[in-house]
Amino acid sequence: MSDPQTRRTVDHGPEMAAATGRSGAALDRFLTFGAVVVLFAVFSITAKNFFTMRSILSLALQTSTTTIMGIGVTFTIITAGIDLSIGSVIALTGTVAVMAAIAGVPIWASMFVGLLTGAACGAANGLLITRLKLPPFIATLGMMMVVRGVALTITNANAKPAPEAFGGLGNDTLFRAGPQFPGISYPVLIMIGVALVFHFILKRTRIGRYTYAVGSTEEAARLSGIKVNRVKIINYVFSALLAGLVGIILASRMVTSQPNSAIGYELNAIAASVIGGTSLMGGMGTVGGAVIGSFIIGILTVGLTMQGANYFMQQIVIGLVVIFAVAFDQIRSRR
Amino acid sequence: MRKLLLVLVALALVAGAVSAQEIAVIVKTGNSSFWQNVQTGCFDAMKELKAKTPKLSVTFLGAQSESNIAEEINIVESAIDRGVKAIVLAPSDVTALVPAVKKAKDAGIPVVIIDSLLTGPTSNYVSFLATDNDAAGRACAKELVDRVKAATGSDDGKIAVMSYVAGVGSEIGRVGGFKDYIAKNSHLEIVTTQYSNADMPTALNQTTNVLSANPDLVGIFGANEPTAVGMGRAIAQAGLAGKIVAIGFDGNAALQNFIKDGTLQAIAVQSSYNMGYQGVKTAYDASIGKKKVPAKVDTGFIIVTKDNIDSSAAKNVLY
Repeated sequence: MSDPQTRRTVDHGPEMAAATGRSGAALDRFLTFGAVVVLFAVFSITAKNFFTMRSILSLALQTSTTTIMGIGVTFTIITAGIDLSIGSVIALTGTVAVMAAIAGVPIWASMFVGLLTGAACGAANGLLITRLKLPPFIATLGMMMVVRGVALTITNANAKPAPEAFGGLGNDTLFRAGPQFPGISYPVLIMIGVALVFHFILKRTRIGRYTYAVGSTEEAARLSGIKVNRVKIINYVFSALLAGLVGIILASRMVTSQPNSAIGYELNAIAASVIGGTSLMGGMGTVGGAVIGSFIIGILTVGLTMQGANYFMQQIVIGLVVIFAVAFDQIRSRR
Repeated sequence: MRKLLLVLVALALVAGAVSAQEIAVIVKTGNSSFWQNVQTGCFDAMKELKAKTPKLSVTFLGAQSESNIAEEINIVESAIDRGVKAIVLAPSDVTALVPAVKKAKDAGIPVVIIDSLLTGPTSNYVSFLATDNDAAGRACAKELVDRVKAATGSDDGKIAVMSYVAGVGSEIGRVGGFKDYIAKNSHLEIVTTQYSNADMPTALNQTTNVLSANPDLVGIFGANEPTAVGMGRAIAQAGLAGKIVAIGFDGNAALQNFIKDGTLQAIAVQSSYNMGYQGVKTAYDASIGKKKVPAKVDTGFIIVTKDNIDSSAAKNVLY
């Protein structure tokens, strides 16, 4: 959280002192960004063919989905919530979009239908949390199962091949220039767009300020006139909408709908978010942090694979990175 | 009063379950066309057997995902508690399901194992029906070696193995047989083994990375359905379709398309339908029919290539 942001939050609610950012926030972000650079440099030296334009573009493509999910889940975590339904929403939206396309709906419209499905899941999450007063962990855990079940039911668990044109979004590139520069994939451009838009929402709009306020001290936010429930619902819609976007990107990359894929992806998103400095206690987190966190995971995964590292070691390394990133954050904030 | 009602309802349920002559089919997960095909086989067998036993019912259950072993154990235990007549089980782990299967045996419920190996004493179950995964893995390896030789004139070079879940019975047999054949019958070097956890996007990413790290790769093997599809996508996207020898496993629509367009050169297709069909029939014979059943049945596989994909032999196993 940047300092000007914090001050504005406080302006809106006098009792929002808890939201005060750490003075070292800028330094923290510098350090996590430094970690990305160091990792990148290490793999460029140790993994053959890692430092090629082709691999870098492929890295960006592979990381784009984690980044988009990570940005979405960051919004819910800032409100001191969580979204465990992301993986299932990815499966359902991709499935719905592909089925619509198979039924003859134009590609762009079928993708839009997929996004709407995602948003509807988010609204359901938000309503369960605000109207039934369910803890977000429980509400989204339940929805994780319900949504997965729906995806499996409507497809009878079969992967359905999509029309060839459906694969355009995930497989085509911009500025293609021969085999050395295969071009920038659309999902990478979407990732950049999503990051900019949601950074703007979080830092420059009322919704963003209210999001921090609700996550810092919910009661104080309510007393200062913020419509807490509405803010929460919007945040869960953001998260599911972005999960839906990922679902469409993945379905497009596969050119199939996969009702049984993306199991556990929400955990990657949450890991990316917390590595980037989002606090599970709420009130703290940035879009930039989620992007950096995703790229730390992405570079490790791609780099270790290309290095030929044992697959089981990869899991150990990534797990340790999550633990130490957060531990480091804790130690710094205690000072 | 309410308690009494509950007891009555519970009793009715138990009575219903007992008189229904249930055969429980418990698979790794319901979530793929492979297992759906097993299910079709199960229900076709049930329709035939209903002529003899009208009260017969077949339930088809599976865990959320193939790696969710604990959930599968629970499903087996609740089937035992329900007092089913027989269990057809595709164990998602070679050892973890042994105690549950032993429990069924002790309760007098015959268990038929399908698809994947289970360790422990073979007396725990009455029959084992599966693709001979070791033979299928070897057949894939032979196909790969022969095609690399035909393409490059030598059996030297680098290959990669894209596997699914480390350590499950079918994987140990299949990938183990593949690697053993490669080591004994060629000079090919396996540069890496990756595990996709049977998640297609993961397989796509892993294959992309393996291909870009090893531009001199001559061959690649995708060891189950989602993994082979993700691998095929990655090969097509890297523009390497037809330029490296790619062998897949299982045979859904996407994989058939890859065979037809030359992205994959061959797929080993198991008869999943047969596993379900014969599984239920064997379970019926062992419990209700009181017949002796064979201890081991090979349900078979077939190597499908561009040349034979339209043959009736291939059509019988493709789904």
